[in-house]
Amino acid sequence: MNAEPGKTYTIPVGPLHVALEEPMYFHIDVEGETVRHVDIRAGHVHRGVEYLATKRSIYQNVVLVERICALCSNSHPETFVMACEQIAGIEIPERAAYLRVVAAEIKRIASHLFNVGILAHLTGYDTLFMHAMQVREIMQDAKETLYGNRMDIGAMCVGGVRYDLDAELIAYLRAALDKVAPEADVLAETFKRNRSLLRRTKGVGILTKEQAVACATVGPVARASGLPYDVRIAAPYAAYDKLKVTAPTLVDGDVWSRAMIRLTEIGLSIDLLRQTLRDLPEGPIHLSERPDIPAGRAMGKCEAPRGELVYYLKTNGADQPERLKWRVPSFPNWDALTFMLEGAKIADIAIIVNSIDPCVSCTER
Amino acid sequence: MIRLPDDIETKLAAAAAGGIEYSSTKSKQGSTTAWCGLATTDDLLSVGKMLLDLGARLAMASAMQPPAPEEEDETEEPSEGEPPEKEIPKTFGGTPIDGKSYEIDYHFVLGGDFLTIVVFAPAGGSVPSLTPYFRAADWPEREMMENYAIQVRGHPDPRRLFLDPSIETAALERLIPYSTLVNAASTKGLWDRVIAAKRGAS
Repeated sequence: MNAEPGKTYTIPVGPLHVALEEPMYFHIDVEGETVRHVDIRAGHVHRGVEYLATKRSIYQNVVLVERICALCSNSHPETFVMACEQIAGIEIPERAAYLRVVAAEIKRIASHLFNVGILAHLTGYDTLFMHAMQVREIMQDAKETLYGNRMDIGAMCVGGVRYDLDAELIAYLRAALDKVAPEADVLAETFKRNRSLLRRTKGVGILTKEQAVACATVGPVARASGLPYDVRIAAPYAAYDKLKVTAPTLVDGDVWSRAMIRLTEIGLSIDLLRQTLRDLPEGPIHLSERPDIPAGRAMGKCEAPRGELVYYLKTNGADQPERLKWRVPSFPNWDALTFMLEGAKIADIAIIVNSIDPCVSCTER
Repeated sequence: MIRLPDDIETKLAAAAAGGIEYSSTKSKQGSTTAWCGLATTDDLLSVGKMLLDLGARLAMASAMQPPAPEEEDETEEPSEGEPPEKEIPKTFGGTPIDGKSYEIDYHFVLGGDFLTIVVFAPAGGSVPSLTPYFRAADWPEREMMENYAIQVRGHPDPRRLFLDPSIETAALERLIPYSTLVNAASTKGLWDRVIAAKRGAS
């Protein structure tokens, strides 16, 4: 919708400090306190990683793609190696498939806790923000213990995973989950009951189901608007076909619903991790030899914390990929902001932007 | 949940008058990855319309310049007389694969399945915009236009997406040194200060 000239006033929001550390510029036309039109201008952290990827070998790219983004850093190599394995016709060992689930779900819990924590901060409820970050710290410690790193965990490789769990680590992870689970419940309860949180988030930044379909949204943003799409269920990969996966949906499509989806998924991920640790089969964690990737093309996709992540890989038998392209879940979700922000109050802009859990460095690459 | 229908190949052939090149694989876990080349970009919109009616979602679009195939070593004895004229290999739709033509892949998702529509355009060519049917085609097409010298006909908002307007167009068609890519600038100002400080100290 275009604003009438003379009636509106243009304010710049960003590129810095809109809910996140990453830069994104919103050119916003307001009428009084109400947002009338939004123009999103991207590109502040465009780094040309796509170009770089065609200059690196397949195996160097496993390392490179992990550095596209910090919060979904595990999903990138996970999807990339899935595309490589498809071209080479590789089947990974069963234990590796389960260990991939472990890495992905630990990252999901940490990522979701971060997002709901920031939401608390943006509503001015800093005590809850610090509480959420403290709970997240349990998962950060778990990552450091299991993988040696807090963000880029380097767990994936073509043909399997690069880490193993022994009885001691499994017991440690179980104990960490037992600590996180009740804390996550408390967080979810607070979001359900606290009146100031409810006032700031209920009915704010609404995305209808039709709009969610039109913008091709994915992940918690789509699920909070009633679209039940989850890659782990629609196209199971790793060991998800052997586990009980549920995708929660809500219908209101507001900021609160998106936060609630994430809070529910934290519990579901904890449950998935417990299933995985229970069923973890014995065996090798990767192929014994580093496979060659022949010429071919493949599509990979996985459910990153923010939604469906898609990879396209084209190889020609050389060490470097001929073309590597990926589309992160935030990429289509930005467009949904134009609907969510329309008619919103200026004071709610940051909360609404944060509610899509945007990832700028992922989007711009 | 929607999936790729069994008769998708027939549907695609019906929507693309120019002809198609279809192949598909099914993973062990049950999801299909299909590829469909179109002989001509003119069929893109009718195929897009058909896919929209099926409930497909446009997940991504990738543009690229497929390199010309390397020349094979001549193993045969050279025949007498005029050497045969070198032929540039072509796609099945007749676009030359000379390293300058464009291949554009539109990756559609139908539930758990992938369908990639592949079109080719020669250097200086253009493709129609899919935005009339897919709102989500907007950003990928803008990205395509700044990375390659390909024109998207009928795009409602053909501004730059990520690259600054001051940057020369078709960024992925050129070799860009890394220092230029990251806009690294260095002056000898700091060094001059170090020298001056040293001089002052002695």
